[in-house]
Amino acid sequence: MADINGREQQQSFEIISIPPQTIPSDPTKFDLPVDSEHRAKTLKIFSFAQPHMRSFHLAWLSFFTCLISTFAAAPLVPVIRDNLNLTRSDVGNAGVASVSGSIFSRLVMGVICDLVGPRYGCAFVNLLAAPVVFSVAFVSSAEGYIAVRFMIGVSLATFVSCQYWTSIMFTSSIIGTVNAVAAGWGDMGGGVTQLLMPFLYHVIKVSGATPFTAWRIAFMIPGWLHLIVGVMVLTLGQDLPDGNLGALQKRGDVAKDKFSKVISDLVFKYAVRNYRTWVFFLVYGFSMGVQLCINNVISEYFYDRFGLTLHTAGIVAATFGMANFAARPLGGYASDMAARKFGMRGRLWVLWTVQTLGGVFCIWLGRANSLPIAILSMILFSIGAQSACGATYGIIPFVSRRSLGIISGLTGAGGNFGGGLTQLVFFSNTGFSAATGLTYMGIMTVACTIPVAFIHFPQWGSMFFPASKNGKYSEESYYSSEWNEHEKEKGLHHGSLKFAENSRSERGKRREIAAAGTPPPGFSATPVHV
Amino acid sequence: MAVQDFLLASLVLSCLAASSYGTSFSSLPATLIVSASTKQGQVLKAGEDKITVTWSLNTSLPAGTDSAYKTVKLKLCYAPVSQKDRGWRKTEDDLEKDKTCQHKIVAQPYSPSNNSFTWTVQKDVPTATYFIRAYVHNSADEEIAYGQTTDVHKTTNLFKIKAISGRHVSRYCLCLLLCFLYCVFVWILLLGEEEI
Repeated sequence: MADINGREQQQSFEIISIPPQTIPSDPTKFDLPVDSEHRAKTLKIFSFAQPHMRSFHLAWLSFFTCLISTFAAAPLVPVIRDNLNLTRSDVGNAGVASVSGSIFSRLVMGVICDLVGPRYGCAFVNLLAAPVVFSVAFVSSAEGYIAVRFMIGVSLATFVSCQYWTSIMFTSSIIGTVNAVAAGWGDMGGGVTQLLMPFLYHVIKVSGATPFTAWRIAFMIPGWLHLIVGVMVLTLGQDLPDGNLGALQKRGDVAKDKFSKVISDLVFKYAVRNYRTWVFFLVYGFSMGVQLCINNVISEYFYDRFGLTLHTAGIVAATFGMANFAARPLGGYASDMAARKFGMRGRLWVLWTVQTLGGVFCIWLGRANSLPIAILSMILFSIGAQSACGATYGIIPFVSRRSLGIISGLTGAGGNFGGGLTQLVFFSNTGFSAATGLTYMGIMTVACTIPVAFIHFPQWGSMFFPASKNGKYSEESYYSSEWNEHEKEKGLHHGSLKFAENSRSERGKRREIAAAGTPPPGFSATPVHV
Repeated sequence: MAVQDFLLASLVLSCLAASSYGTSFSSLPATLIVSASTKQGQVLKAGEDKITVTWSLNTSLPAGTDSAYKTVKLKLCYAPVSQKDRGWRKTEDDLEKDKTCQHKIVAQPYSPSNNSFTWTVQKDVPTATYFIRAYVHNSADEEIAYGQTTDVHKTTNLFKIKAISGRHVSRYCLCLLLCFLYCVFVWILLLGEEEI
């Protein structure tokens, strides 16, 4: 019986793997309290225990490393542009290339996570990124520079594996906070790199290298980080609370989707045809996208506009990215807090508010003529945009259960698409200055956040409308509608039903539960056995 | 009389200029004659080739023109063709904001004639087209005059410098070694795994 799905496995997915640590499926043996799916109900930051906390730390660390190398060139652009004789458009195009690579790779990673688990996806992206980063030392022209930044940017696909991994390790009521902390700490890499790379460059220059050699050697460090992290994920990580995906699929504990079915059903039916996916594709482009764009341009902006040194411009730029440490978790936390009282509607309002505020502060940054005002508005802008990212991923886990990976991937891809688009339209143009570009980008952000008002969940409502009144719509009906009758007969939708039960917390405190023999209301998501 | 008027005017101008942002380039008189050993269109290699610059006061100017001159600073400046599409090398009249001349050659005390300096092009000079300009500073270190190897429109006597690539042989070896180590690493990793 356990082999019904096992027999269908494609030979191409028989990947050899490291024997997992023996994890008991008895809930009392986990280090943290767990729900009915064995997902943890709390986040214990300073713990590295298997499986939840260790996966959490590996997830955010692997994403952090990819951000460091993707934006490693940005603070060194004043040196690189002289070494490679770049023009303004070359610099802009390289920035666009660095975020465009992962539009496609994030989609692919979503599919990979659904099929073989986040661990393999994450580890292999890191191991493949390492030689690409090492090859930066050989770049000699604008074309080479653009190409290598594109290839390194592909590694940003680890965002999807990071979010996917935390989403299956932690329960719904804290998912906003957990996703936001993991992604926020990962995004911090974009800020840390603005400090790290000038520092490495300086140290290498002082030890005798010329500037045009020093920046190339500095890139060795991110390359090694990729190798180390990739190995750690493979050896120390675990896909699911109960074990690795391959092992669980063989035992029949986890339904295994056939590859072709994944593409047709998950991608086209449940992801692409769900309009919410596309709203988030757009909206995330103006929270994360804007951030990616800023990571590429802000150091050079402060260097050129306010005459700061490379070092100082890097420090200022770093504060933007480093704000992620607290700002993104703040967004996730605010989302979770709003959900306790107001359910999903609260989450949607939080998202709209912080993202719009981010846009407003971006306009202010573009208009700031003095350094202190520019820094102040930049910090406020960073808090707005980054908490919007956290708030977005507080909602994404609820859009679909079956194709969480693909929707996560599509949203992430939207972030990169927005990043490339904003960089191309506002910062590669010699027609207007970077300051004007910032102002226009802020205006566009405010405009493109309005679609959040159109997100409606029948069981929970939207910003302006409550849940659909007829009791037809419950969490169970929404999530089990992703499986057809044939699959339901086989019992493949049980995972979704468990999730639906745990997601009742999205009703908020004041909603009455339909009298359909369902568990007690409340926000603690205590596991109830059906 | 004309000299005194001229001096008074330049003094007032420089005071005004100093009290605003930086000195305005268009207010500076071109009193030095500067010439370099480079020929029109010559290509020099950074880190290897040398340039010899000579400069002196224009002898047709009235005596006393250089009474406030203290130091001369020579700089390597970008020609317009190398400034195109590169806003970080833009020419601004306000000398505090001007980014035309970003590479210092030498600073020497002023003397009206017999000035010469031989400079080895430094390794951090990027590939571009250049000319050389000498700024004269007074005792308050403000620019009060200049001279340059090219004409007013910056079209004559330009020369090119070819930068080092930065990709030295020793660095190649280092990278190759790292790539090799990486391959060994991954090979050992895959070798050590077992099927479940």
